[in-house]
Amino acid sequence: MPAKPHRILLDRVSVYADEAAAFMRRRRVARRPFARLYYPHGRSADHAQDSRAGAELFVAAGRLIEVAGKKQKR
Amino acid sequence: MTTVVIQEARARVTVGIFADMADASTAAPPSGESAEAALELLAEMSPDLRGAAILGSTGEVLAATGEERERWGEDVAALFAAADEAEGVPVEQVHIATEQGEVFAIRNAGLAAVSVTDRFALASLMLFDLRSTLRQLTTPNFSSPERGQPRKGDR
Repeated sequence: MPAKPHRILLDRVSVYADEAAAFMRRRRVARRPFARLYYPHGRSADHAQDSRAGAELFVAAGRLIEVAGKKQKR
Repeated sequence: MTTVVIQEARARVTVGIFADMADASTAAPPSGESAEAALELLAEMSPDLRGAAILGSTGEVLAATGEERERWGEDVAALFAAADEAEGVPVEQVHIATEQGEVFAIRNAGLAAVSVTDRFALASLMLFDLRSTLRQLTTPNFSSPERGQPRKGDR
């Protein structure tokens, strides 16, 4: 028995909503700030923004972003 | 952690490979002109780049984008100081991603290169470009390619 037309429409809308929610979730994860330091011999370490070292790194990075300014149009 | 053990093992294996190589930091320091040329090439290679600077071994600014050369020097010094202090060990590379943009910094052969990019710049490419920029600077007779001349791989 074929599905009722309004059911098909609802299913399609909910699929789009699920896709949008997944996209937003991935985007939010990707946008999370991080500070990563690389040491000799390939070792690396992440520092959280709320840690003391992390906070200092983010302040220093913020100053550099400020001095670089906006991207120049080419 | 397991990854650290693997990386340390890799370091033990590869250390012999580099033992006989000449130390690039013993080469003559690059001139401001060659640093400007290298920075120009870096900007050409990296479409996400907002600004960048190259610093010498004593922290002096060899080349920088924009007008505030002195500020680049101060802020890069502050960044490396904070990074070195984090674990008490000198860092090789720094990558910080914020909501406003991303900062990449690298030290090699007594020189330092820093770049600021838009969000979501490809980190591995940016760090590779910075590293090759510093390597070019320590290579004798480095010169910028002629403008308008397509490089290999350009379309």
